[in-house]
Amino acid sequence: MTIASPRIHEVPDDLLAAIDYCYDQGWTDGLPVVPPVVDRVKAMLAADSRPPDTVIARHPATGLDLSLHAAAVNAVMAGCLPDYFPVLVAAFEAMDKPEFNFHGSTASTGGSAPLLIVSGPYADEIGMNADVNLFGPGNRANATIGRAVRLILRNVFQMLPGISDKSTQGNPGKYSFCIAERARGNPWPLLCEAQGYPKGASSVTVYAGGGFCNVENHGGNTPEQILGSVADAMANYGCITLGQAVVILAPEHMQIVAGAGWTREQAQAFLFSQAKRPVEGMKGVGKYRDREYDTQHGAGAHALAERDFMHRGLTPDDILITMGGGDAGGHSCFIPSWSRGRGSIKQHGAIRIPK
Amino acid sequence: MQLYSPLSTTPKRKLFRAPALGKIDGMRIGVLENGKLNAEEMLNEVAALFVQRHGCTVRSLASKSNASAPAPANTLVKVAQEVDFLITGLGD
Repeated sequence: MTIASPRIHEVPDDLLAAIDYCYDQGWTDGLPVVPPVVDRVKAMLAADSRPPDTVIARHPATGLDLSLHAAAVNAVMAGCLPDYFPVLVAAFEAMDKPEFNFHGSTASTGGSAPLLIVSGPYADEIGMNADVNLFGPGNRANATIGRAVRLILRNVFQMLPGISDKSTQGNPGKYSFCIAERARGNPWPLLCEAQGYPKGASSVTVYAGGGFCNVENHGGNTPEQILGSVADAMANYGCITLGQAVVILAPEHMQIVAGAGWTREQAQAFLFSQAKRPVEGMKGVGKYRDREYDTQHGAGAHALAERDFMHRGLTPDDILITMGGGDAGGHSCFIPSWSRGRGSIKQHGAIRIPK
Repeated sequence: MQLYSPLSTTPKRKLFRAPALGKIDGMRIGVLENGKLNAEEMLNEVAALFVQRHGCTVRSLASKSNASAPAPANTLVKVAQEVDFLITGLGD
């Protein structure tokens, strides 16, 4: 499909008036945006060597395209610096994979937000936060990259609250949901390494996150105790589904788990084995339907992993685990998936670093 | 001051409604359910009303494996050959 030239709006040379103009056009997430002046957009585009009309994602339902140019405009509005742009581009290239199903995950009543986890040296190069107050405010890269994702979903793909975005309650991550994986002191291979990218490369993982669940445990001092409390959060009757999971272990918790010699794979296997509820209990809260296994997962996926129990996810690989947050505190987190099954599968992509 | 529009530059697609059926009586019905809780039950109830009131026949039940993704083209092509109209909708 042919892409038209980007439209230019002439506004008075008054910054505050330009911010108000953006509000009037319906271009914001409710907060003020940086007016996307031409020079700033061009500077953003310089962070990617491809032509500005290169399409990096397409909406599967409406056919609307995301060009590099439109991504750059929204990145400027979100407050991104040009160095952040490669992360944003990689995130949408990953979300464009059909398995992520970004239409469903952003239109659904489930109210999810795309969580971005940036892994590898580029996170440090652009000053991302992987440390204290990981999911909180205060870091420009984390905040504005995540915000740019939301602005693109709104402005380019027209996922408008109440119209095409039907979130029942939404979640705060819909303003911004972007973190860096903590490399400092991380005893496990970084995600980008586990994903098979070459040494020195960085990646971004995208995941349709349905919220945030703090897992507090200041008394446990064995892997089983720490991960047991995480597993319980993953499998509470409100959260448990067959969907995937993201677990960010606090450094204190990671020291206990990895300090006992546990690998990521062992931790995944333990969480999968423990994050479960009995089928009878699921029936008791009205959340179990036999046919759901057949229709959502295809032939052969019906069998329960364990007789009479429903586990979170289908296999241990459905659980992404890494480390993040400040040195002090027994606070990890579990982020449930939007999808109750296979409706959205986490994806990742390489970050193209400008030469 | 010049601002770039943040909207997509993709031209709007031209969408058309399918022509209305001249009559409903005796038509062949397909049901496309999306796998959500109660979708099949609700749609079958709707289809039953057409059978009862208009003498329709239910010829085909198709399922989507992903409720929030468009139905695969081959599913729609297959169903279109078997029915005069299709009933679909959400569950939950």
